[in-house]
Amino acid sequence: PKSRPAAHSFQPLLKHSPTPLQQRVSFSQGPTQPQNPGSKAGLRLKTRLIVTLLFGGGILGAWWYVWQEKQEQLQQQRMEQLRQVAVGQGNFSLTDHTGRRRTKQDFLGSWVLLYFGFTHCPDICPDELDKMSSVVKILDQDSSLPKVQPVFITVDPERDDVAAMERYIKEFHPRLVGLTGTPEEVKRAGQDYRVYASIGPKDDDGDYIVDHTILIYLINPDGLFLDYYNRMKNEYQIAESVRNHMLNHRTAFTNVLK
Amino acid sequence: MSAPNKEQRRACWAARDDLWKCLDGGQDDAEACRPFQQRFESSCPAQWVRYFVKRRDFLKYKEQLQAAGYEYAEGPAKT
Repeated sequence: PKSRPAAHSFQPLLKHSPTPLQQRVSFSQGPTQPQNPGSKAGLRLKTRLIVTLLFGGGILGAWWYVWQEKQEQLQQQRMEQLRQVAVGQGNFSLTDHTGRRRTKQDFLGSWVLLYFGFTHCPDICPDELDKMSSVVKILDQDSSLPKVQPVFITVDPERDDVAAMERYIKEFHPRLVGLTGTPEEVKRAGQDYRVYASIGPKDDDGDYIVDHTILIYLINPDGLFLDYYNRMKNEYQIAESVRNHMLNHRTAFTNVLK
Repeated sequence: MSAPNKEQRRACWAARDDLWKCLDGGQDDAEACRPFQQRFESSCPAQWVRYFVKRRDFLKYKEQLQAAGYEYAEGPAKT
């Protein structure tokens, strides 16, 4: 039988050998866990953490991939819809603000941002043309992108002659081209782009407002209508969209060359 | 009559904004805002004055709808 330890050496004895009471308790609980962090439990914890992170990362990656695929699919659908609408197929022939005759052919090879409006417009047309000018300025800053050609076509040929167009457009972007013509020519251009235009009631001065579709159209260098932007889109969103179309156009073209 | 240029447009819009600010402040008190009304009418073509009046009516109407909520009209009685 073990002799009882002396009182003054009680503490050290506790550390090295459990008292009979502790021994009984520990046996009834089963094998004891080691306390060391560098030991098996610590490793298991680290492994579990790594596995969880990898698994979580994997899930995020998969989700991102699926989202990307979905975005592509949506983009494809939109392109298909636009193709079917087949806007801007015709060949317009109009007079620019310098009096020169311009046809759709003249604009092939350039990216075009097109807006229909009229010079007597109270607020919307100046706003949209300012926005369009900002978009062109933003895109101009990126020297790797081709320069965009902004175009303004009137829906009010009765009043918007060459002189009126020249006066109006010079207050917007320097590259902005204004196009007008005979009522027939203008009507044909408007119809090409499915533009709605309706002359309102004339007042005593003969002044009137033209109600019309408020959209900025994007046309690619092949003369194909690619996209449109309404009043809700700001210049940054439009510039971003145009940039993406340009980059896609480039990759599509290089794929064809291979 | 030629279209207003950039300067004239800006002057018209400023006069319009001043008028609207006055009307908004005084609950559409036309009398109190008469000087603003006069300046607005002299800065803008008549056609634009009419257009902006209609525009304001529309904006006020929209505000009303958004604040008061939309009451669904009762459809034809179901039998």
